[in-house]
Amino acid sequence: MGVIPPHLPYQRRHAMKPFATALALSLTIACPTLAFAAGASDTDAERLARWNEIRTSIFGDKAVQPTETLVKVDAPVRALDAALVPITLTMPEPGKVAGVSLVIDDNPSPYAANITFGPAADPSEIKLRVRVNNYTNVHAVVRTKDGGLFETAKFVKASGGCSAPMGMSDEEAMKGMGDMRMKFAEGPHGAKSTEATLMIRHPNFSGMQMNQITRDYTPARYIQKVVVSQGARNILTLDGDISIASNPVINFAFLPEGTAPVTVVASDNQDGRWEHSFPVPSPSN
Amino acid sequence: MTLLSRLAAAALLTLGVAAAPADSPVNVQEPEGFHTGPQQGYTPPTLKGAVVLDIDGLDRVVATGKAVLIDVALADRRPAGMAPDKPWLPAHRSVPGAIWMPNAGAAPLDPAHENLFLARVAELTGGDKARPIVTFCHPDCWGSWNAGKRLVQAGYTAVHWFPTGIEGWQERHETAVLKEDPAWAARSTNAAQR
Repeated sequence: MGVIPPHLPYQRRHAMKPFATALALSLTIACPTLAFAAGASDTDAERLARWNEIRTSIFGDKAVQPTETLVKVDAPVRALDAALVPITLTMPEPGKVAGVSLVIDDNPSPYAANITFGPAADPSEIKLRVRVNNYTNVHAVVRTKDGGLFETAKFVKASGGCSAPMGMSDEEAMKGMGDMRMKFAEGPHGAKSTEATLMIRHPNFSGMQMNQITRDYTPARYIQKVVVSQGARNILTLDGDISIASNPVINFAFLPEGTAPVTVVASDNQDGRWEHSFPVPSPSN
Repeated sequence: MTLLSRLAAAALLTLGVAAAPADSPVNVQEPEGFHTGPQQGYTPPTLKGAVVLDIDGLDRVVATGKAVLIDVALADRRPAGMAPDKPWLPAHRSVPGAIWMPNAGAAPLDPAHENLFLARVAELTGGDKARPIVTFCHPDCWGSWNAGKRLVQAGYTAVHWFPTGIEGWQERHETAVLKEDPAWAARSTNAAQR
C-alpha cells in the first residue's frame, strides 16, 4: 500500500497546510473509475432529496422556482478555510427583491441566514462569510415583492467548518463581544447607492466546537438578529444562525437619505444586545 | 465549570506538553495502548499491526470487494442553546457502503459498547479474522486509530487504517448519506461523545 501523505487539504483545524496543496493536486489528477461509489445520478438524486427536505421545512408547500436571473450565488469552488467561506449573493433586479435566504444544504443547521430588505436597501448585492461542514450545495432563495420564491445553487467544496475551533480560549474569543465597525464605499449604482461593510466582533460559537482543554462543547452563542437602519428607514434585517462565521462581516448597499447615521442593533441567542451608530459620509466624498 | 477545575485542566495540559509531542503533525509517536486524549489532534503515521492506507491504497482494498469499511466519526448533536425553531437536519456524508458506528473509537469505551462493537465487526466479517477491515473518520482524528488498534488487539490480521478519512475519500469520490448502524444505534448512550 502507498505511503500516507501528510495531509490532504482539510480545514477542520487549520486554515491552510501549505505543503498539502501540491500533494492534493497530484492525488486528484489520476481519477480511477469508482469502485463502488454511488453513480452520479444517485448522488444528484440524494442531493435533490436533501434540498426538498430543507425547502419544505423552511418554506412549507410554497412553490420555489429555479431562476437564472433574479439571484446568483458566488463562492469559491474550493474554500481555503471552511470556517470562513465568503459568499456573494447578486440580485441584478433589486427592485423586485423583498428578501433573500441562504441555505447550506449539508450543514446540520442548514438555514444559515435570512435577510429581509427595508425601504432604504439596495438589494443588488449581499456578501457574508459562513461555515461549511461538508461538500455541499449552497442555495439562495429570493422572495420577490409579489410573493414569489426563486432559487439557485452553487456547489462548494469545504469541510469541517462548523466544528473548527477558533484557536484561542473561549474567553479570548469573547473579548470585545458586540464591538462593531462600519466602512462605507461608493455603491454599485454610483452616487445613488452606498456600499457598507459591517463588522461585528462576536465568536458566533456554533455549539459544535470542542474546547480542547476541557473537552466540553462550547455552547452555541450566535448572532440571532441584526437590524440595520438609517434614521427611521430600515435597510435590512438579518436572521442569523450558527452557520455564520465568527466575527460576522456583512456587505450590503443602501440608498442614503439626509444625514442621519446608520444604526445597527445586534442581538444573540443568550440575550446579548448591542447597538452602534455610524455617521454616513457626505455625498461629496 | 468552576475556575478551580479550569485551572486544574490548564495545569494538566501544561504537564502533558513534556510527555506528549508538541502540537505538530511530525513525529507523533504511537501511544502504548489507546489514545485517551481528545479525539481531534495530530495522529502518528503508523499503527502497529495494521496497514496505513492513502486513497490509492483504499481504492485497491475496496476494489477487492471484500473489505468491511467502518466509519467511527462522531455524530452531529443539536447544540445546546440553539433556538428551538431552527431546523436541525444533520446528514452524515461518508464513504458509500461503509458501516457507521459513531464514537466507536472512543477510549476508554464503555465495556458493553466495546463488546457490541467487536460483536458487530465479527458479524460483518462473518467471523473471518483475516477479512480486510478499514477504519476511518476524519483527518486528525484519533477515533479511527483507536478503532483500528482495538481490532488489532482483538486478533484481526488485515486491519487497515485510512487516516484522511471522509475528506480523503471525497477528494476523489462521491459521498453518500449514511445512517447510523442500527445495532450500534440501539446501545444506551448516556455519556456525551468525546
